[in-house]
Amino acid sequence: MLTVAKNLYDYRELMMTLAWKNVALRYKQAYLGIAWAIVKPLMLMLIFTLVRSFVGIDSGSVPYPVLTFAALLLWTFFQEAASEGVTSVVGNTTLIRKIYFPREIFPITSVLTKLVELGINFLIVAALMAWYGILPSIYVIWVPVFIAYAILAALTIAFVGSAINVYYRDVGNALPVLLSLVMYASPVIYPLQLVKDKLVTQQAAGEWSNLYYQLYLLNPLAGLIDNFQNVMLRGLPPDFTTMLPGFVLVLCLLPLSYLYFKRAESYFADVI
Amino acid sequence: MPIIQVENVTKEYNLGALHGLKQTLLDTGARLVGKKTPQRPLFKALDDVSFSIEPGEVVGIIGHNGAGKSTLLKMLAKISTPTRGSVKVSGRIAPLIEVGAGFVPDFTGRENVYLNGAILGMPRREIDKKFEEIVDFAEMEEFIDTPVKRYISGMQVKLAFAVATSIESEILIIDEVLAVGDLAFQRKCFDRMEDIIKRQGRTVLLVSHNIRQVVRICGRTILMNHGKIIADGPSAETCDKFYTQSNETILRQAQASHKSRGEVLTSGEVELVSLSLINNHGSVVDTVTSGDDCTIRCTFDVKKPLKNVDVVYGFHTTDFVYISAMGTSDIAGESSLQQGRVTVDCSIKNLPLAPGVYAIRVGVFDNLLTKIFYGENLKVFSVSQRDGSHGKVILHSLINIPSAWNFSPEEG
Repeated sequence: MLTVAKNLYDYRELMMTLAWKNVALRYKQAYLGIAWAIVKPLMLMLIFTLVRSFVGIDSGSVPYPVLTFAALLLWTFFQEAASEGVTSVVGNTTLIRKIYFPREIFPITSVLTKLVELGINFLIVAALMAWYGILPSIYVIWVPVFIAYAILAALTIAFVGSAINVYYRDVGNALPVLLSLVMYASPVIYPLQLVKDKLVTQQAAGEWSNLYYQLYLLNPLAGLIDNFQNVMLRGLPPDFTTMLPGFVLVLCLLPLSYLYFKRAESYFADVI
Repeated sequence: MPIIQVENVTKEYNLGALHGLKQTLLDTGARLVGKKTPQRPLFKALDDVSFSIEPGEVVGIIGHNGAGKSTLLKMLAKISTPTRGSVKVSGRIAPLIEVGAGFVPDFTGRENVYLNGAILGMPRREIDKKFEEIVDFAEMEEFIDTPVKRYISGMQVKLAFAVATSIESEILIIDEVLAVGDLAFQRKCFDRMEDIIKRQGRTVLLVSHNIRQVVRICGRTILMNHGKIIADGPSAETCDKFYTQSNETILRQAQASHKSRGEVLTSGEVELVSLSLINNHGSVVDTVTSGDDCTIRCTFDVKKPLKNVDVVYGFHTTDFVYISAMGTSDIAGESSLQQGRVTVDCSIKNLPLAPGVYAIRVGVFDNLLTKIFYGENLKVFSVSQRDGSHGKVILHSLINIPSAWNFSPEEG
């Protein structure tokens, strides 16, 4: 654990430089530049808002567009960070074969890169909040912690995924598809409250209802998105009970994922 | 305390391709029930290699393609890990394994300098400090803010070389980089290398096919073959051994194939029927003795009479360094080829070639210097040491120039 932290500190300049490279490279020779980062969540928000006008989703006290955009902000970050983390090692084949530095720098860097886009989307959320006249509560001080948690969740997938991807490229192809399915199992289109109402209050699945609810919460993004909406939009303190199952899962899997990565690392140059 | 310590390092690779998912699952299943699965054949890229390098040593690594040089460097640079054995490196390594590996085509030269520096482990402050020097060395002032993709390849390499050699590392690993750029820049790289070696006293490992360069730069050279170290010692000795070894291979191949292996250019007016080397006893040979008389005899098939042609015979080394060209231009007027078979002899007095392996080239030109016939590497032969000649060969050389010596102490 200590060596991990030391490595991170020793190679902080390299990670910053590589992250800057990723960002700069993505928007070079693009007229709109970094503005492209907001296109995806913005489009999805518009589509969801349109769909909602047919099916009706209860968004509570918060206007639906800003609620779903806040969810999309975290979700897009998580999804893209995980996907790009998984392809990051194979994507840097030339470097892997020529130069040594700790290989975990690649997945970590691609996750960090996504922070830039997250920051830009944050401005959109702020703008939407201002438009609807929502004031953030004092509890927004929790936001950095939530972001850190999202980073850890993305890294859990990125480490093990990028290592396997070196041997079987299927992972890099399959993950974006899988993750877009997981989006429907996360409170992105609908608020978490609806799931809770259905399962806990109405016991819709009979005696299994409570178990199903806990299983739903194993998805780290479920509690995360809900609490992010709590502190940013609803002015509520964070509800840690919804975060606990996912947090325990990440806490168990992240070290395993990292250890697997470190074990596979020394063969990257031979296999890639 | 050696700075690099390599002990019994073996590296094996599986030959063939990685199996698909189905085969992997089947194999895993078979192993689970205790059956043997077919192993992919192993290839030993390195076979029990051990050596150590002291701080400040400049070591060359030479060998044929596939001898294991690059694999060894990868172990030293921690890019790959050995199957067995251990590699201990105490100090920062700057790997110049194929320069410009981290260059991003869309970035400008300036951005790439910073990126490449960071990848090679240079702190930003250090790059800031050295930026001017790097750009200056690479002769890039006007292009530094142009994307690298618009550079010609030579410019990229110049810039990459400048960045990599400005790292303050204890160990510098160089794999075939000096062979790039134009002559003037190669010269400059060479000077910079010598500066690094002599003035800064860094440890350098140089992998190269350019043996003459290795002898010039390195004090010690390791010769590898089939994953093993077969010689390790002073550069001149090791490189001599390498030359001998590769010349023997070339000679063996040339003799085994029995036909001329050279590329021949001909206008069709003249064909070469045979080429032989005749020693001072008048017999056709493949080996002549250094300093003896010999004769090169060619038989041509001349399709139409050619007046006043220039016939040229020459020697070259197996790596195509042209040593000589003996021509008939100074007997112009007497050098005409009659129609039919013509034998042209060239007698050489006291063959000045030093012991080694050489090849013969032949050319026929008309009086306007147009090529009628030209071929290289037409016969490979070896020159042996003259019996009873004094001393051993101390320095590698190509020709022996007759010389007389005189040592006279200054009076007074």
